[in-house]
Amino acid sequence: MENRSAKPQSVSRRGFLKMLGGAGLAGVAANITGCSTDQAGGKGWMPQQYQVASSWPVQVRGRVPIDPTNPSITRDDKKCILCGQCIEACEKVQTVMGYYELPIKDDITCVNCGQCTLWCPTAAITEVDHTEKVFKALENKDLHVVVQTAPATRVALGEEFGLPAGSVVEGKQVAALKKLGFAGVFDTNFTADLTIMEEGSELVARVTGDLKKPLPQFTSCSPGWVKFCEYYYPDLLEHMSSAKSPQQMMGAVVKSYYAKQKGIDPQKIYSVSIMPCTAKKYECQRPEMNSAGEKIGKPDMMDVDAVLTTRELARMIKKKGIDFTQLADEKYDSMLGEGTGAAVIFGTTGGVMEAAVRSAYFLITKQNPPDALLTLTPVRGLTGVKEAALEIPGVGPVRVAVCSGLSNARKILDEVREDLKAGNPLRYHFIEFMSCPGGCIGGGGQPRTSLPPSDAVRQARLDSLYTMDAKMYKKRLSHENQEVLDIYKNFFEHPMSHLAEELLHTEYTDRGKQLTAKKKA
Amino acid sequence: MAKGVLVDLTKCIGCGSCTVACKLWNDKKFSVEEPTVGPAAIAKLTANNWTVVQHNEIKKDNETVWRFAKKQCLHCQDPACASACFAKALQKTKEGPVIYYPHLCVGCRYCMIACPFNVPKYEWDKAFPLVSKCQMCSTKVDKGEAPACVSVCPAGVFQFGEREKLLQEAKSIIAKDINYVKDIYGEQQAGGTSWLYISDVPFEQLGFRTDLGTVPLSTYSHNFLKYTPVVAVSWGIILTGLYHYTKRRNTISEENKNVKL
Repeated sequence: MENRSAKPQSVSRRGFLKMLGGAGLAGVAANITGCSTDQAGGKGWMPQQYQVASSWPVQVRGRVPIDPTNPSITRDDKKCILCGQCIEACEKVQTVMGYYELPIKDDITCVNCGQCTLWCPTAAITEVDHTEKVFKALENKDLHVVVQTAPATRVALGEEFGLPAGSVVEGKQVAALKKLGFAGVFDTNFTADLTIMEEGSELVARVTGDLKKPLPQFTSCSPGWVKFCEYYYPDLLEHMSSAKSPQQMMGAVVKSYYAKQKGIDPQKIYSVSIMPCTAKKYECQRPEMNSAGEKIGKPDMMDVDAVLTTRELARMIKKKGIDFTQLADEKYDSMLGEGTGAAVIFGTTGGVMEAAVRSAYFLITKQNPPDALLTLTPVRGLTGVKEAALEIPGVGPVRVAVCSGLSNARKILDEVREDLKAGNPLRYHFIEFMSCPGGCIGGGGQPRTSLPPSDAVRQARLDSLYTMDAKMYKKRLSHENQEVLDIYKNFFEHPMSHLAEELLHTEYTDRGKQLTAKKKA
Repeated sequence: MAKGVLVDLTKCIGCGSCTVACKLWNDKKFSVEEPTVGPAAIAKLTANNWTVVQHNEIKKDNETVWRFAKKQCLHCQDPACASACFAKALQKTKEGPVIYYPHLCVGCRYCMIACPFNVPKYEWDKAFPLVSKCQMCSTKVDKGEAPACVSVCPAGVFQFGEREKLLQEAKSIIAKDINYVKDIYGEQQAGGTSWLYISDVPFEQLGFRTDLGTVPLSTYSHNFLKYTPVVAVSWGIILTGLYHYTKRRNTISEENKNVKL
């Protein structure tokens, strides 16, 4: 009421025009200083990153496809810069991407080798992390958590803690694992020796004709290579040794032999493995990798429960605040902890071949091989494809080939395929294939010490493994491993026995129907 | 001439490079809750995802096959969103892209209702939200360059060029190869779009709407809305006439009264 009765404030014409002018000026100023009239979009960092805004840089080349359910590798889109290094690894080094016709079928072709995780400059692609799963198992008092370590991690793990490439940290690794709380720390070297007994016996049986399977025999311990063969060369799967990889042998042995000897319920055992490899994460969950469970009527129990890469182990050690470099060396636990020099060189290209030759010589001649066979130079080193011919009394010349990196495998496999088609005489008796260049020492789960992975680092790790074989290990022959002899005496009876076939051998899947293979990218 | 993109869905391997290139170019946020690659239920267009690659499992010749479908704004020849926008915040350029000007937008979201492909999204999580959708990297297209998503593809899914030429190309591809369905998505749909798709499985199985007809949606309203200026002007004239008529009639009747008195 007061307001209404108050005298209305009068606005002069001049005042009104001033006010309008002021508002207009403010609007223009706001427009010039802040409010953009641009269209949406186009304001990301990519144009700046590549200097010349808005011209598409040639080095932006996309990336490999990764299935969100891939058991081995995963990618953080936030870190991806589309640099194309993963394509470089997948297509050029491993000849996987681009070697299938489009459209795809019902699968994103991946051999799980993880080389892309070594090439990715921003670490957008990494292994699928299982450290939390393992920490949880270690905290669970009901579980008996055991661990095995592959030959190649002991010459690489130190790099994660500032040691030079190839530093031997076998004892420290065992000490760290015991500190983390593992109840049993076993050596995959033990099952590498076991593999040699099985795979060597199989080779001898193929050569003598006792086993009706074709020559050449292919090694089967690299799961990336196995999947590659299943995808692209399923017609040659008969050549693949039926022996499981050392990791899976250890898994099966832990939940059968070890459980029996120790009187532990195998279902209470949680089996972890430390591998230089991402494909091992995939291998352990292949449906047929449940032999120990199958045996006791529990097919859901897998032989190996979790696989950690060398990098993941380093993360676990760091998370627990363990001063790795200051640890005092410790020894592997007995029963499944002994390994020979022949086993430790499994970690490098040519190693499986050399180890197999040493023991095959023994299996055929019942005598230990001469010194020349203990340093099989032609199959050593980082060369992609290596060949050697050996004289074994009673058999004659045995010709072998070794290749690492799947692009090299293709060369040999195409030769084998052509020879078979043309009915040519046998070129090789035994061929070792490793998925990753340099073998496991250059595996997709190893520390990213050089980027992209370099031969200098591979060579350092390789040299260390051969040094361990020649100088540090007392025994250099798989068939002299006492714990291996014990397991045959107490459990398996002899190589390729019925029980050994059940637990230590496997079969393969034809994946040829999941893609349309192509010769060239 | 208007540019376009031809998408050959048979070549997509599902790597999602295009979705990352889009975010890097346009400064869009990455979010774990909003993945850009995956099944259609998970990988959805959002204010942060201008493009997504949707994974479909499809029965084809009694076999299950995986097919990926890249989704983004199709940049209609005659866009319903632009026709619905009274503020001219959405405009079709002569080069092809349908672009959005945030400074013109009043936030009414008519465009979101108008779009038959459900493309424009709203920045619901922001205090001052805007509409958000693919611009087809129009600043690049203006210079004759392909959009970011197109140029990064490692599998050769895309072709960028004149829409008319791409249409011819698409026709010759599907004529030569019996594996393709005899249809080009985007040639006719809702009056045609700048993005054209060819595929070896039916489009409806890949989550594309096939019930849109060939008439641009804007024409339905244009048929009567085009009379708006005529109606407005003539209604004004009529009312002005009536005003003057009644005013004059009153004046005359007043005069007549005065005469009587």
